[in-house]
Amino acid sequence: MTEGVVFDLGWRPYDGPRLGRSGARRALYRDGLRRVLGLRRRARRKVLPFALLAIALLPALFFVAFGVIAGEFDPEATLFGHSQYFDLTGALVLIFTALASSELLLPDRVHGTLSVYASRPLTTADYVAMRAASLATVVFGFLWLPHVMLFLGRAWVNGFGSYVTENAEILWQTALSSVVYFAAYAPLGFLVAAFSRRASVAAGAFLGVVTISSAATRGLIEAGFDFMGLFAFQHHPGYVKDWIMDSSTHSWIPEDAGFDPSVSLLVIIVVAALSGLTVYARQRRAG
Amino acid sequence: MAGGADTDRETTSFPPMSEAPIIATSDLRFAYGDIVAIDGVSLEIPSGRIGLVGANGAGKTTLLKILLGVLPAASGRVEVLGHPVATERLEVRSKVGWMPESNCLPPDQTAADFLGYAAELGGLPVRAARQRASDVLGLVGLHEERFRYIGEFSTGMKQRTKLAQAIVHDPSLVLLDEPTAGLDPEGREEMLDLVTRLQGFGINAVISSHVLTDIERTCDWVIMLDGGKVLRSGPLTDLSTTDEVELEVIGDAAMVAAAARRLGATVEVTGTVLHLTSAGGDAFAIARDALVEAAVPLRRLGAKRTTLEDVFMGEGSND
Repeated sequence: MTEGVVFDLGWRPYDGPRLGRSGARRALYRDGLRRVLGLRRRARRKVLPFALLAIALLPALFFVAFGVIAGEFDPEATLFGHSQYFDLTGALVLIFTALASSELLLPDRVHGTLSVYASRPLTTADYVAMRAASLATVVFGFLWLPHVMLFLGRAWVNGFGSYVTENAEILWQTALSSVVYFAAYAPLGFLVAAFSRRASVAAGAFLGVVTISSAATRGLIEAGFDFMGLFAFQHHPGYVKDWIMDSSTHSWIPEDAGFDPSVSLLVIIVVAALSGLTVYARQRRAG
Repeated sequence: MAGGADTDRETTSFPPMSEAPIIATSDLRFAYGDIVAIDGVSLEIPSGRIGLVGANGAGKTTLLKILLGVLPAASGRVEVLGHPVATERLEVRSKVGWMPESNCLPPDQTAADFLGYAAELGGLPVRAARQRASDVLGLVGLHEERFRYIGEFSTGMKQRTKLAQAIVHDPSLVLLDEPTAGLDPEGREEMLDLVTRLQGFGINAVISSHVLTDIERTCDWVIMLDGGKVLRSGPLTDLSTTDEVELEVIGDAAMVAAAARRLGATVEVTGTVLHLTSAGGDAFAIARDALVEAAVPLRRLGAKRTTLEDVFMGEGSND
């Protein structure tokens, strides 16, 4: 059966600008954003990321709308406080990271697309860095956008000027906390994805490692093994977030084990660095 | 790409041979652990369509990966398009396209999206990349299919998509690893036609294959690899022509053979077909004189042409 016809349309050589490595890196970054959000993919690929994004944003939208209509809101209300909002988005971003990290790394390796990258002006470090940057952008937006909406909504109700000047630190605190959540989850997500062959298995394994480690470590701490608090991966970012925002929203496992939030931050950095190096080595070998 | 002022670049004649080789290697070596894959390969390859032939495991794919900088040579020197691969890997890659033998296509992207992305990865700006993706998909016969997901493509369509991604950024050199693998006869013909046209686009090509007839049909220079070593490297015409004359007669071939031997030729007779070689003289002149002397009618006469397979098997058996 003839599957297509080769038309002799001639050939026009490309003599325009070539952007080289920087252009290739930007292309990789844009592709990562599209992959994470399911853009230019089948419709079902878009459902989960946008559903999670909607769940993260809707409470903030609702609260802003409610406050604007009512003309006031209680600034001490904890349900929609900035620090408490991370309880919702932190859980959502864990699921999102599980799905997105496997979507970013796994198909390229399984479908052999890494050989296309190998024939372009890119290095393995470029590949890993740009994939991480794509995920960082979306996760950061995921975590920080609701806070910006809340902030602007509150500022609107309170007449902008004084509210903005008095509460401006919320913006950098929530931004920094969002970065901490990304640094705590994404490298682990990439690490699991780098060694998996199926996206569903990778996502499940990542969620299992993070959530079960927390449950298990709590039991071990109660049995007297305080050092196990270092392995409560799900609790480190929240503990550091409370440190940054000077709040106390939970009883965090590392805190119960007697560790300072600075130790949790150090654990996040060390795990991220080790995971990053392992992912790099794995991708280098695979490519 | 369809028409336009620049279409004059496509010509039926070969572009002039550049003086500098497109690929130069010197005493190249590479091993997978204890298994030596490339063993002292030294080559100087001119521009054009280059065939890389050898049995499975001869080192063809390994050599291509070394040229691309994917595998680092254990020792030796490699230059591609004038750039040393060891130190200017990314410069080489920005000018080279690569069509791997194995799958390299994401099934969940449309051909147009993937080709556009492949062009962007080659350094083209977004708009130019999308335009070229559309043009190149037309060139390989997939214009009507460009918005279909690659996962829905047949093997032939995937092979053409793989070729398209290798040339979409208009490289100076494209490395094709078994481009006809898995194709039915019709798909193979189309692929070979496309490969043959590459030179007209100003794209040099190294075509790796173990199908010798594919190389004979598409290439003008051949490199034979066996066990990681170069058996032969040279123009296809040098490999396929010999000093031997083949003639078929109507009647008694033995009389012609006897006359030819008296004239100083070495003769092999198979039925009515004779093969003549002459160490010192002109084999054609001897054939003519022998035919006259024997008074035997001639059916056909010509230089004996060897196939690449003859050469390859001959070289292999000499080893």
